[in-house]
Amino acid sequence: MAEAVWSTDTGEAVYRSRDPVRNLRLRVHLQRITSSNFLHYQPAAQLGKDLIDLATFRPPPTASGHRPDEDEEEEVVIGWQEKLFSQFEVDLYQNEAACQSPLDHQYRQEILKLENSGGRKNRRIFTYTDSDRYTNLEEHCQKMTTAASEVPSFLVERMANVRRRRQDRRGMEGGILKSRIVTWEPSEEFIRNSHVINTPLQTMYIMADLGPYGKLGYKKYEHVLCTLKVDSNGVITVKPDFTGLKGPYRIETEGEKQELWKYTIDNVSSLAQPEEEEREQRVFKDLYGRHKEYLNSLVGTDFEMTVPGALRLFVNGEVDWSSPAFQQLSGITQTCVTKSLGMDKVAYFSYPFTFEASFLHEDESADALPEWPVLYCEVLSLDFWQRYRVEGYGAVVLPATPGSHTLTVSTWRPMELGTVAELRRFFIGGSLELEDISYVRIPGTFKGERLSRFGLRTETTGSVTFRLHCLQQSRAFMESSSLRKRMRSVLDRLEGFSQQSSIHSVLEAFRRARRRMQEARERLPQGLVGPSGARSPSSLQPRPSVQEDKPSAI
Amino acid sequence: MAEVHVIGQILGATGFSESSLFCKWGIHTGAAWKLLSGVREGQTQVDTPQVGDMAYWSHPIDLHFATKGLQGWPRLHLQVWSQDSFGRCQLAGYGFCHVPSSPGTHQLDCPTWRPLGSWREQLARAFVGGGPQLLHGDAIYSGADRYRLHTAAGGTVHLELGLLLRHFDRYGVEC
Repeated sequence: MAEAVWSTDTGEAVYRSRDPVRNLRLRVHLQRITSSNFLHYQPAAQLGKDLIDLATFRPPPTASGHRPDEDEEEEVVIGWQEKLFSQFEVDLYQNEAACQSPLDHQYRQEILKLENSGGRKNRRIFTYTDSDRYTNLEEHCQKMTTAASEVPSFLVERMANVRRRRQDRRGMEGGILKSRIVTWEPSEEFIRNSHVINTPLQTMYIMADLGPYGKLGYKKYEHVLCTLKVDSNGVITVKPDFTGLKGPYRIETEGEKQELWKYTIDNVSSLAQPEEEEREQRVFKDLYGRHKEYLNSLVGTDFEMTVPGALRLFVNGEVDWSSPAFQQLSGITQTCVTKSLGMDKVAYFSYPFTFEASFLHEDESADALPEWPVLYCEVLSLDFWQRYRVEGYGAVVLPATPGSHTLTVSTWRPMELGTVAELRRFFIGGSLELEDISYVRIPGTFKGERLSRFGLRTETTGSVTFRLHCLQQSRAFMESSSLRKRMRSVLDRLEGFSQQSSIHSVLEAFRRARRRMQEARERLPQGLVGPSGARSPSSLQPRPSVQEDKPSAI
Repeated sequence: MAEVHVIGQILGATGFSESSLFCKWGIHTGAAWKLLSGVREGQTQVDTPQVGDMAYWSHPIDLHFATKGLQGWPRLHLQVWSQDSFGRCQLAGYGFCHVPSSPGTHQLDCPTWRPLGSWREQLARAFVGGGPQLLHGDAIYSGADRYRLHTAAGGTVHLELGLLLRHFDRYGVEC
């Protein structure tokens, strides 16, 4: 049988799970493919085609001694941080003198117990858990490049410190000290904490001892099959990834006898029961639902409404530069000394105003477009010597669309002919003023078709910037939008049925009519025959009787 | 009732003649508004620009309001102060801006002004520091008595505010 293509992709995969990691279970299946006695393995480039069916190459049992099946193949199910001992460790820890740390002693006890109960169930596959020395050493001395002179850098030393510390103090997250925000003299510990990433990470290595048969227990034959890293946020990193549908991974041992092993890794963690999942979902939904209700109760359901048929315009604004007129529809800003900004002199007022207007839509005449409100502004200057001058007039129509708008109004001031007036304005103050500010746009007293400003001399002065936020509120918006929504949903519902129902109704009507016609036809000869046969003098009268029948039939 | 979320930051300030600036900010709303979550006022750290003109604060603003009406739309008022090496604080400007009313992200530049005293006080301020301040902070965001003031323009405070509106269309408000 043809083998599946090898998987050469040994990149890591990242999984996220909210379940506790102790439910994680992996099944590792390790199998030797070739025997070095017979076959020199072909280079990897020619996978699949040159692999000859293995059955023909199975060596006869006599040629190389008795090979128990366990040596060719092994399968183990491993849980998270489950310690499986290798032959090397078994040999090592049985010797009491080799035990130094409490962990070593603990291992020794376990090994002795295992030996007493009949040996361990795994032979070649074993694991290094987070607390083993291997993990520290591996992380410290792991080489990334082929350079012979690669030594662990400064950062690696620091990170190794972090890991070692993590073992002693697991679960401590970096909290923000509320009392002191800045530490002027960080201690060594503080530097270790903060200068490198500190997420607690638990590692586990699944190893295989690929020594030749009978020579298990040598460190140099240890190979890493899989590395598992789990952090406190439920992120599980598996390198290489679970085989799944990919082909198995291969390891080629080096040395005088090149052997080829393949292994697969499968995730056999028990899935949460659907009931449990459902329960979890329900709990979450409950929690969020209750939170939502609480917020809703805070919010309430009132809102201020307009009179039906009215459009309310609500404007919030700020002014850089100047003054409208009085009450709520007007305001006077403070006096502000200008400063130079680039080439211009600017004065910042930041004058807040809020303005609300209602428009009642009384008659439905389509040609009268609503006139939008107009904002008038008048800029004045008042100086140290109490000289009061008009600097400019301007006006702008409020925007018709809701939203944020920045409007710049250019201003002008009326000028008199002749230098005398200008000199007077400069030295003493006082100038021409408008009596009616609405003259700036269309005077209130204007009646007619053409406005003529002939004869008014003006001079352009600066500009005023308004920033406005406009909101519009009306019942019509409410109705139209909800109506639109309602219509849309009704149409959606009807769309599917409308054609069918019309055809159906037509067919029904047709059938009914046909039935009635048949009934009428059945009755008709009787009506015609009966009365005409029985009453010969009434042969003149069959029609009324027939006519009577007809309406009732139809 | 409708809800408004204001999420953004006070970026920093430019155009002030003093360095070492910090900002005190607050939000003022009308009677129909209720603050559901978030802090209504705060103070940034003191920042001294080393390169360039802008003092950066990046102070977060995260508020959730519920409202019964459109009146009293929230207004943000700011006071920019400078702190000198002796620890004394001096007013650099008062500023104000309305929270925008259309949903989306808005970049706001809020110009500031400060009250001017007599020429004697101005001279003293230039050399020794100090200067007049407003007696009542609400003059910043209300326009009623502004005409009594004589002010000078200050710098500009830059803000970035994102706005989320909810249920306004149910009551016929277009924004």
